[in-house]
Amino acid sequence: MRQLIIQSAVSGLLVGGIYGLVALGLALSFGVLKVLNVAHGELVMLGGYAAFFLFSQMGIDPLVSIPLVFVVLFALGVALYWLLFKFVVRFDIETRIKNSLLISFGLVLILQAIAVFIFSGDDRTIVTGYSSNALVVTGWVRIPWARSAGLVVAIIAAFALEWLLNRTTFGHAVRGTSEDWTLASLTGIDVRRVYMIAFAISAGLAGLAGSLVSLGYSISPSIGLGWTLKALIVIVLAGLGSMRGIVMAGALLGLIEGLASVWVGSAYRGVVALVVFLVVLSFRPQGLFGREGTHV
Amino acid sequence: MLKVDNLGVGYGDLQVVWDVSFEVPSGSLVAIIGSNGAGKTTTLRALMNLLPTITGTIEFQGESIVGVPTHQIVERGLVMIPESRATFASLTVADNLDLGAYTKRSRGMRDATLRDVYEIFPRLAERRTQLAGTLSGGERQMLAIGKALMARPEMLVLDEPSLGLAPIIVEDTFDEIRAIRERGVSVLMVEQHVEMTLELVDYAYVLELGHVAVQGSSSDLMTNSGVRAAYLSLK
Repeated sequence: MRQLIIQSAVSGLLVGGIYGLVALGLALSFGVLKVLNVAHGELVMLGGYAAFFLFSQMGIDPLVSIPLVFVVLFALGVALYWLLFKFVVRFDIETRIKNSLLISFGLVLILQAIAVFIFSGDDRTIVTGYSSNALVVTGWVRIPWARSAGLVVAIIAAFALEWLLNRTTFGHAVRGTSEDWTLASLTGIDVRRVYMIAFAISAGLAGLAGSLVSLGYSISPSIGLGWTLKALIVIVLAGLGSMRGIVMAGALLGLIEGLASVWVGSAYRGVVALVVFLVVLSFRPQGLFGREGTHV
Repeated sequence: MLKVDNLGVGYGDLQVVWDVSFEVPSGSLVAIIGSNGAGKTTTLRALMNLLPTITGTIEFQGESIVGVPTHQIVERGLVMIPESRATFASLTVADNLDLGAYTKRSRGMRDATLRDVYEIFPRLAERRTQLAGTLSGGERQMLAIGKALMARPEMLVLDEPSLGLAPIIVEDTFDEIRAIRERGVSVLMVEQHVEMTLELVDYAYVLELGHVAVQGSSSDLMTNSGVRAAYLSLK
């Protein structure tokens, strides 16, 4: 029993890293553009297929193709911004949220249909030579390498994003824009350009997450909405304002789900996670790591 | 330097500024004065293309800036300090000043300008790691002006710099505006404190209900009986 509990906790923690990574991207586009991109999970799905085909068609190892998938999804983010979201950010903030919900729900349907058409509905997983390798601790706790990558990449991405936002002038411009876009434009910041790049980085992060999902788990055209919902829970749980807080909240959600699947039964792990989520929010409405007055 | 002709501005179908014309010659200090709702802020917002103009022309350094995106107007050297929330509360003092020099025209001179700004406002140097949202009203005003100076403006536009400040800090602010003009930067300011403003500026336009009611040099306006009666509460 003890073995099962520890193993579930470890597995939960590892998948939680990916929850955190997906949530990082969603928090960035929501915090800066004030648009809620429900199709964020579909970008995860597309990133997963990008990594899958880079591996199966061109033999590129998923751990190598991670930066490549980031670039591909970054470019897709630029395209989606130009096609759809640049029209939404002209409105006041309340209208932006409503309109972006409608637009991105449409995008969910379109991207899913395209994915079924091109990739078929089959589940896909990247199987590499090291897929079954694991670090075995004290003889019985298995930490699979392929899944550990999720948590490691999430932590690296959080630190990189914090460095960008806090230590570079462009990052200051992003934070300034998210606080007050009028003042940002009066400061000489091209707000539209900031929006485009922030959205593209958000899509790129979804791509990273997707390639890790296809490496450690499996992908299919319909996985998107589930990831979006997890990311939303993580963001509300963490609160805006801290990127590493988001990754920690993601890991925490994964951990709770892992433990719940042992103690309560795996059918109820999502329910237990939501109960914990509600309890946390009733005691800390600003989120576990949120700071008041922060915007990204 | 700045020449505005027959400007008309409004919000949607509601026009609030009609046929406003004014001019800010190079190196001068000009004010637009008037009571609440006269259209002063609306005029400035149109200047920076935060609101579309309905009629009229705006020329800055001989070129039309109507329809030019706000950030490009700043790039040309026309910099505005809005009346409230003129600094990024969630950023530190140093990061606010860093962003002040975001434009290409100011970027290369950032370090030199920053030294100047810290020399003018030593208080900002002491507080450089503090979040702007935690500063006092007077310090925030210094930061707003310092941030605007970081952009190396040809012309500075200030929207009610006295708003919400204690009288003694308003005096400091007006001294700083005088000093900015002495450094060769043209200044356009909007104010409700008519008497103090007329003592500061060269020339002023009085805006009433969206029209220019009176204009003249500050000494003329101080002796104008209509202005005295309406704004100076002196008979």
